[in-house]
Amino acid sequence: MRFLFYLPLSLIFSLFSLLALTACAADLEAFQRASARARIGQFFDRNAVGASSESKHTNNWAVLVCSSRYWFNYRHMSNTLGMYRTVKRLGIPDSNIILMLADDAACNPRNRFPGCVYADAGRHLDLYGENIEVDYRGYEVTVENLLRVLTGRVEPSVPRSKRLLSDDRSNIFVYMTGHGGNEFLKFQDNEEMSTFDVADAFEQMWQKKRYNEMFFMVDTCQAKSMYSKLYSPNILATGSSQVGENSYSYENDMDVGVAVIDGFTHFTLEFMENINKTSATNMQEFANKIRSHADVRSDLFHRPLDRTLITDFFGGVAHAEVIESPITTSVTTVSVESIAPEELGLREPVADLLINVSAAADDVEDHYAHFGGKQQDGWAIVAGLVGYVVMRERRQ
Amino acid sequence: MSAGRWTLLYIVAARLLLALSLIGESLKEDHQLASPLNAYPRLREGTYLFNHGISPYSGGTFRHSPLFLPFFSWLPDSPYLNASLWTLVDCISAWALVSIWNARSGGVRSRGVLLASMYLINPYLFLPSLATSTASFDNALLLLAIKFACERRTPPCLFSLAFASQLSLPSILLLPPILLLLLSDAKSHLASPKSFSTSYSAVAPVVLEFFAYFATLTGAATIATGGWSWAANTWGAGLILPDLTPNPGLWWYFFTEMFDHFRPFFLMVFSMHLLIYVAPVCIKFQHDPLYATFILVGLIAMFKPYPTLADAGLFLTMFTLFPETYRYLRYPIVTALLHLHAFLLLPLFHHLWVGAGTGNANFFYASSLVFGVANGGAILDAIWAGLRIAVGEVGEDYAVMQE
Repeated sequence: MRFLFYLPLSLIFSLFSLLALTACAADLEAFQRASARARIGQFFDRNAVGASSESKHTNNWAVLVCSSRYWFNYRHMSNTLGMYRTVKRLGIPDSNIILMLADDAACNPRNRFPGCVYADAGRHLDLYGENIEVDYRGYEVTVENLLRVLTGRVEPSVPRSKRLLSDDRSNIFVYMTGHGGNEFLKFQDNEEMSTFDVADAFEQMWQKKRYNEMFFMVDTCQAKSMYSKLYSPNILATGSSQVGENSYSYENDMDVGVAVIDGFTHFTLEFMENINKTSATNMQEFANKIRSHADVRSDLFHRPLDRTLITDFFGGVAHAEVIESPITTSVTTVSVESIAPEELGLREPVADLLINVSAAADDVEDHYAHFGGKQQDGWAIVAGLVGYVVMRERRQ
Repeated sequence: MSAGRWTLLYIVAARLLLALSLIGESLKEDHQLASPLNAYPRLREGTYLFNHGISPYSGGTFRHSPLFLPFFSWLPDSPYLNASLWTLVDCISAWALVSIWNARSGGVRSRGVLLASMYLINPYLFLPSLATSTASFDNALLLLAIKFACERRTPPCLFSLAFASQLSLPSILLLPPILLLLLSDAKSHLASPKSFSTSYSAVAPVVLEFFAYFATLTGAATIATGGWSWAANTWGAGLILPDLTPNPGLWWYFFTEMFDHFRPFFLMVFSMHLLIYVAPVCIKFQHDPLYATFILVGLIAMFKPYPTLADAGLFLTMFTLFPETYRYLRYPIVTALLHLHAFLLLPLFHHLWVGAGTGNANFFYASSLVFGVANGGAILDAIWAGLRIAVGEVGEDYAVMQE
C-alpha cells in the first residue's frame, strides 16, 4: 500500500507542475498577442489607403455597356471586356458589376479563336477567359433595360445579378461604348439613347440616393455630347472625343481580322496596368494622361481631382480599421429614443431596426441566465462519482 | 534501469518532442485523424461558446460530450500544453495495455516494453494524438476499462466504461464482453474452450452498477448544460448522421448519395448492423472474454459512424496481447500490406479530392473501402486464429477447414 502514501505527494507535484506550465503558456500567449498587434498596426499604416482617400464610399459598383452588335464591332466588346477585367482585378466582385454585351464576340462563328476575345494585335491577353459573368447579353441590351438598371425600376422577376443594388454610399463607374453621335448613343443598330435620357436617369439616381459619386466614361464618336447635359452633383465624366469629332480604333489584329480596341480605351487600359488595389494614383493624373482631344468634365464633381483616387471608382477596395481594445460580447438593451437618426448618419428612421435588436437582446439575457446557473452542480456530481469510485477501490 | 525501460523512455521522449515541435498544428482538422465527434478545433469552439454563456450545442459544430467542457474550458489553449497532455494520455493508454498483458500472462514482464512501444509508435495512434483529436481520450478510457476488468476491480472498470460510453456511444457495446471479463479472468483460455457459467445474482449487480454510473454521468451532463440538447448533438449524431464530413469510415458516402426517403431505414440498418455482432462474438468467445472484447473493438472500429484511424489503431495494437494466435493467422502479410496500402492512399486521395481538385469523393471513399477491407481481413483472421487454437495440432494428413 506504499503507493497510497505517495499518491497525495505525486498529486501535489503534478498540480504544481501543471500550474507552472499554465503560467508559461499564458505568458507565451500574451507575448504573441502583443507582437501580433504591433505587426497588424504596421501593416495597416504601411498600406493606409483609407488614410489618403477622402471618399466616403463603402462599396463600388460598375455598369459596363457595349451597345453595338455584329462582328465588325468586335472592338466595342473588347473595350467593355477590358474595363471589366480591370475593375475585377482591382477588387470589384461580379456581384457588383453589371456587364452588358450586345453581341457575343467570343462564340461568334466568325471568330477564329473561339471562346477568346483579344484587345491587342498579337493577342497576348484573352479577356473572355473562364471566369466571366455577363449579366445582359445580346438582345437584352436595350435602352429600356439600361435605364431600368440605372434607375432601379426593374420588374420583380428580374434576378439580383441583373440589378444595380447600390445605395447612397456607393461609388459607381458607368462605362459606355459603341457608335455615338451628337447627343445620342446607338443601341443594337435599331434604337438610340439620348443624352437627356442619361442625364435624367442620373438625376433619378441622385434623388433616390443610389450613388455617392459617379464616374461616367464614354468611348464613342462625339463622346463629349453624351455627358454635356448632365446636371446632377458628384459626377465626374470623361469622353474620348469632342463634339463634331470622331473616335478611332487603335489597332487591327491580322488573324482576328477586325479592329480589336479603340484608342481611348486602349490608353486608359494602358494607364490602368500600373494601378493595383493599394495604388494612390489620383484622377488628375488620369486626366493628364488622356491625350488627343479627349475631355474631362469635372464641374459637377465636388472634390478636387488630385485628391480623388483611381481606386475610388475602378476598384473595390475595403477600408479597415484596427481597433486596439478587445471587444466584449456583452448584452445591453438599446433604448430607441436616445439615438437620433442624424447622429448615426442615416436618413431613414431607425426605430424599426432598433426594436428588433432589443427584443433579441432580452431573449439572449434569459438564455444566458438559464444556461450559466447550474454548471457547478453538474461538475460536482461528476467529482462526487469519481470520489465514490476511489473510495470503493480503497475499501477493497 | 533495464534496456527495455530505457527504450521506452526514449520513445516517450521522442513522442513528446515530436508533439512539442508543433508538427501537428496542420493536422488538427485532418479528416482521417479527427472526425466531427473528435476534432480539437470543434472542442475549442464549444468551450468558447460555453465560456460566453451560450449553449455550445446551439452552433452545430460542437459534438463532444459535455464532460469535456469543464476541463477544457479551464485549460488554456496552448499547443505545448496540448502536446504534453496528449502524450501523457497516450502513456496512460500504453501503461493500461501493459497491465492488461500482465494480467493475461501472469507476469511475463519481458514483453511489456514491446507492448508499450507498439502502442506509442503505431502511426494510426500517434498521428491522431499529434492532431490532438480526442480519440486518444476514447482509447485511453477503453483501455483503462479493460485493464480494470482484467484486474477484477469492478467500480473503476465500470466507471471508465461509462465515461467512455459518454464520450463515444458505440463503446457501450463493449459492456457484455467486459461483463464476462469481470466475472471470469483475463488469462488465455483460447486453447481450451469451455462454456461460461454464472448466475444472474452475480451479473445483475454489475449491470445495475454500470447503468447507475452511466445515468449519473448523463444526469451530470444534463444539469451542467441545462437541457437535453447535448444528447441529440453527441449521441444523436451517431444515430441520425447530420454531419457528413468525410472520414475513413463506411457510413458517410452512403448517406451523401441517399435519397431522404430511405434515410431513416438505412440509418436503422447501419445501427442494427453494429448491434448484431455483440451477441455472436460473446457467445463464441465466452471462454476468453478478453479476446471477445478485442474482436468487438475491431468490429466497432470498422463499422462505427464516425471512425478515425485511432479506432483501427487500437484494434491492431491489441493484437500484441494475443501472441498465441500468431502461428494460426492465415494471411497476416496480406492484411498488413492492405493496411499499408490504405494508410498511403487515404491521405493521397484526400489531397487529390479536396486539395488539388483533380479527384473526387469516389477516390477517397475507395481508399476508405480498402481500409475497411484491411480491417475486415484483420478481424476475420483474428477470429479464425482464436478459434483455430482450440483445434490444436493436426497431423500431416489433415487440414482444418471452415465449412
